[in-house]
Amino acid sequence: MRPAAGRLGIRATSTASFALLALVVSTLLAVGTYLTARHYLVGQREATATRQAFVDAALLREGLLTAGSSVSDVLDETSPPPGAVVLVDRSGQWYTSSLETGEADVPADVRAAAAQGRASRAWTTLAGGPAVVVGVPVPAVGVAVYEISPTTELQSTLRTLAVVLAAFAAGTTAVGALLGGSASARTLAPLRDVASAAAAIAAGRMTTRLPDTSDPDLAVIVGSFNSMVEALEERMQRDARFAADVAHELRSPVTTLMTSVTVLRSAQGRDPERQRAAADLVDREVRRLHRSLEHLLELGRLDAGVLERDPEPMDLEALVRHTLADTGRAHVGVEVVGPLTPVEGSKPQLHRALVNLLENADRHGGGVEQVLLRSGSGSVEVLVVDRGPGVPDAERSRVFDRFSRIGSRGSTPGTGLGLSLVAETVRAHGGRVWVEETPGGGATFVIGLPAGGDGAEGGS
Amino acid sequence: MSVRLLVLEDDDGIRTSVTMALEDEGYEVTGHPSAEEALRDPSLGEVDLHLVDLMLGGMDGYSFIREVRRRSDVPIIVLSAKGDTHDIVAALEAGADDYVTKPFEIKEVSARLRALRRRPPTRSAEQTADAPDVVVLDAENGPLVLDTGAAVLRRGEEVVHLTVTEYHLLRELAASAGRVLSRQVLLERVWDHGYFGDERIVDVHVRRLRTKVEVTASDPRLVVTVRGLGYRLDPQ
Repeated sequence: MRPAAGRLGIRATSTASFALLALVVSTLLAVGTYLTARHYLVGQREATATRQAFVDAALLREGLLTAGSSVSDVLDETSPPPGAVVLVDRSGQWYTSSLETGEADVPADVRAAAAQGRASRAWTTLAGGPAVVVGVPVPAVGVAVYEISPTTELQSTLRTLAVVLAAFAAGTTAVGALLGGSASARTLAPLRDVASAAAAIAAGRMTTRLPDTSDPDLAVIVGSFNSMVEALEERMQRDARFAADVAHELRSPVTTLMTSVTVLRSAQGRDPERQRAAADLVDREVRRLHRSLEHLLELGRLDAGVLERDPEPMDLEALVRHTLADTGRAHVGVEVVGPLTPVEGSKPQLHRALVNLLENADRHGGGVEQVLLRSGSGSVEVLVVDRGPGVPDAERSRVFDRFSRIGSRGSTPGTGLGLSLVAETVRAHGGRVWVEETPGGGATFVIGLPAGGDGAEGGS
Repeated sequence: MSVRLLVLEDDDGIRTSVTMALEDEGYEVTGHPSAEEALRDPSLGEVDLHLVDLMLGGMDGYSFIREVRRRSDVPIIVLSAKGDTHDIVAALEAGADDYVTKPFEIKEVSARLRALRRRPPTRSAEQTADAPDVVVLDAENGPLVLDTGAAVLRRGEEVVHLTVTEYHLLRELAASAGRVLSRQVLLERVWDHGYFGDERIVDVHVRRLRTKVEVTASDPRLVVTVRGLGYRLDPQ
């Protein structure tokens, strides 16, 4: 989770992206605006200069057509706009309205066009600034009129426009950066909430939850975060309950052992009958303690998702017969219905699961009556049938929970873990286990293993 | 005649071994695996002290304690593997006098037994000399009078029903009337608990005692709590 050195965070990246985007867009807009405006303004200026030149040329023609007037007199009467200069070329003789401007200021191509009797327009430089030159031949009086209009005000307008547009682009970029920064800050705010909630949970305040939100984008995060915390809390509570149950389960045999040893001591040599009774108790409780520990170890292995051995193909019927013979139940009938699909699994673990079912039948069902084997749909089922009181409907899923005790414990209490071990072993094999009613009364515990053993997995 | 104990415990091993061990100490013990069976026992009324497990199949220990309390004032000791505050307080509030958590030494159980079985001392010459038999606790309401000679509490003409433990507690408080008794001291004097005794036992019993001796239990005047120190009996 440590940020990589030299890498930008989400906020910096997002701020930079927004700024860059704003910069590009506003620059494009500004340049476009500038070019369009310049094109238009320059066009306007040229048109104005041309119109003015024609007006002045007409004035000159009128003046010169009046008998006796000289070019310089007529030139004085023209009123070019401020800064503009009118030049007249009368067969090589140049007249000008300004002293600083002369023949040399009129570009050659304009003069050439006028000489050929064409009006033309061109750009030139006048007193260091750009200017428009318009040449108009006036053949009626044998002159060519040139008007040079400086465009300094156009240039300054364009400069101002450029500055304004550049400032606008820079401002837009800054606003973009701000927007990017604040938008990402807003986007990241819920992440900060998540982080502080996670820190609170890590500190042990398991009741911490993110507040509900109506924001559909955030609802997903909030929902999954909260359900994660709930799952975590539930898991922790389950573990704590399990630890408490384990402690409770071990306390009983230890109590009996401590008390029996006291009895044993005081009966020593005085009362052999009592001594034997106490010794029997010690014997029984030590075994019970041992079995509890075995079951807890097995449960730990299953919790870790470890199959004791790699699944191997096995003959379920042989396993069942072996288990029955092994536990002194060789007399129990085994019935096989139809051909059995082969299954795979860990023999020692399934053996112990079967033993647990048989012991459960002893303890609560008056002993196993029969074991049935059959092929189900996609599975092979082992049915352990007893004729006891059966399991009430409401308890049928609960019997497989750890330390769930249905009914009284009787004189030989189990560890409270047997059936949960069966369930978890079968689950580790990809199968499932359930209990149903034996037709005519009693309980039938069913182990269903996937046919072909393809469901067997070493762990998840 | 020997003292009769009833052991209610569903774990066969514990019931059998505790029964044997207490028999060795000279008690007459009857064991029952379920509350229902114990309540059906015709000799239930003659039991001098009950030892009760809380987690039982069927009717639980709390209900059994309440049922016994409804019928008599004999001491009840809880034997439980549960050590959580709420389990213990619930058992004490149901009417138990003391509790022992599993696994226990049988010596511990018999020490508790003896403490609860201890009868109010009969009048001796010494006591007659320096302490009166009759202490007026509340002159205005009743009057409420503790008669240590007859080991009864009376309000006016009527006898106020106290369990053995409640009576012991009241007598200790009355003997030091006007002085604060710490929970620790009360634990030692009434329950014979050592240094590590559970002070919640005192609190629950004081609460129960108040419902019987106070005019308004929620506003105690007679048995007052001295914050941080303990309890004091102020004769009214």
